[in-house]
Amino acid sequence: MTHDVWVVATDPRRLASMAAAARGLGGRVTVVAIGERSVAEAAAASGADAVAWVETQARTPAEAYAPALARAVVEAAPRVVLAATTAEGRALLGWAAAALGASVVSGLTSVTADGDALLVERVGLGGRVIESFAVGAPLAGLFGGEDTPPPAGASAPIEPLALEPIDVRVEATVPVPGATGGVSTADRVVAIGRGLKAKGDLAIIESLAAALGGEIACSMPIADDFGWVAKERYVGRSGQQIAPRLYLAIGISGMPQHLEGVRDAKVVVGINTDPGARIFERAAYGIVGDLYEVVPALQHALGK
Amino acid sequence: MRRTIGLGSAHCCPAAGDPRIVKVVVVYKWARDPEDAAVRADGTIDWRGAKMTAGEDDPAVLEVGRAIAGAASAVVGLTIGDGDATWALARGVEQAVSVPDAATSADEASTAAILAAAIRSIGADAVVIGDAEAYPGVAPTLAGLLGWPVLLGVTGATAEAGRVHASRRVGAIDQSVSLPLPAVLGVAAAGAEKQQPGMKEVLAARKRPVTAQAIAALGVAPRAPLEARANRVPETGNARIFEGDPEAAAAGLVAALRADGVL
Repeated sequence: MTHDVWVVATDPRRLASMAAAARGLGGRVTVVAIGERSVAEAAAASGADAVAWVETQARTPAEAYAPALARAVVEAAPRVVLAATTAEGRALLGWAAAALGASVVSGLTSVTADGDALLVERVGLGGRVIESFAVGAPLAGLFGGEDTPPPAGASAPIEPLALEPIDVRVEATVPVPGATGGVSTADRVVAIGRGLKAKGDLAIIESLAAALGGEIACSMPIADDFGWVAKERYVGRSGQQIAPRLYLAIGISGMPQHLEGVRDAKVVVGINTDPGARIFERAAYGIVGDLYEVVPALQHALGK
Repeated sequence: MRRTIGLGSAHCCPAAGDPRIVKVVVVYKWARDPEDAAVRADGTIDWRGAKMTAGEDDPAVLEVGRAIAGAASAVVGLTIGDGDATWALARGVEQAVSVPDAATSADEASTAAILAAAIRSIGADAVVIGDAEAYPGVAPTLAGLLGWPVLLGVTGATAEAGRVHASRRVGAIDQSVSLPLPAVLGVAAAGAEKQQPGMKEVLAARKRPVTAQAIAALGVAPRAPLEARANRVPETGNARIFEGDPEAAAAGLVAALRADGVL
């Protein structure tokens, strides 16, 4: 049995992987792109069958379209609606789910057909378990899988979609200090966490970052509780979300709130005294050891 | 420095507020902490009797709720399940409603439906709830069920002339967004709770009223539960660990990163 899927997108991230997950259900995959033309174009190249584009104005956030989108979803009645786990994506999906009477599953990594039912896999408990459920009702899924490249040569037609927004307005925007340079765009980032014993010890971290030609970042306690590092360098759920090629997590245990900040980092390295630290589940490489010995050793190994 | 939202921890001197707001509901202790669960080798989850617990965003939820309510309006706490309902009362909230027999569910729409029914029975002009990382679908589905505009990831807010003005960070931008009331705000704490209540506040909390509502009285439409199938434990220990003394391990790591083309 095939099932149609709507994917609601407000930015290009995870679009291709959501479209790929949706195609597995064998039905029609429609992306509703809400935003600038670049989102619609990413949707057209994602592997979807069709793109409905809601062109937004600068002062009207995507959330303003939630009620109208929900009405459109009810009319089209797809079996599954997917969205990325961003603030805008979630707001839109929640309204659609409520309108459809759908079950809501977050951290969704795959959905397949099992007769009339849908078999859903999701990442649970901050990454410690993959749960499976059968869902009988319509499904609204917040995607929890990785960002993957789109299929080569994919191209879907883009049709404009007129949705009436409600009166939600962006009153002001201010760029986050340090977010357009420094940590947010660095290819290599050296991050420090609670393993650091004193502010003065930052010198060895700064030295390693300089040897790598990279930037310093930190976990929340280092910025917030201790104030040892500027708040703009805090990486995590309510800090920066960055995507460097190399991320060294030094003395960082790897809790979900921190890892949220580096979901799209290419290579993560963990350095921690605890062999059971969660960082080693996310990292590609690791050294179990005392950072006060490992960091100088790394600097030496780099030849700088 | 952690952003304060006009009030500070002493709950003093609130702004005049918007007279159109009669009641703000602040939702707290509505989920279990995933860190309290253990995963067995076969993938089944053992919650070890874990109760509903205050989310890390819940202190910020109270601050934002008070800021929106101002001096003129009531702040009512809402909690579901088996957690200690006095948590909010010990933090300056005067009255609370609990739904003790609300069941937990893997379907976030079920949780949202219970909260929506309870909020309708209380009557509210604004709802503030933690934008919980582990349950990211609850707040917006709740808004959809209430039919109210929603903003998530909020770090601060005020209310004026029938609108909420909320601030939040989206990527590299700090935004100020206004929404018409009634509205739902999902609040993400920027840092940990700075000041826990002392024994005096905790004891005073026990004297404040908690109204218990039975789930049957709320008229929540029954939902078919998600049918659990076999779980599995993800492949752990994916990291290639470099052993030996620090010098040897560091040399191995650098060689691997160079071979990867990352260095």
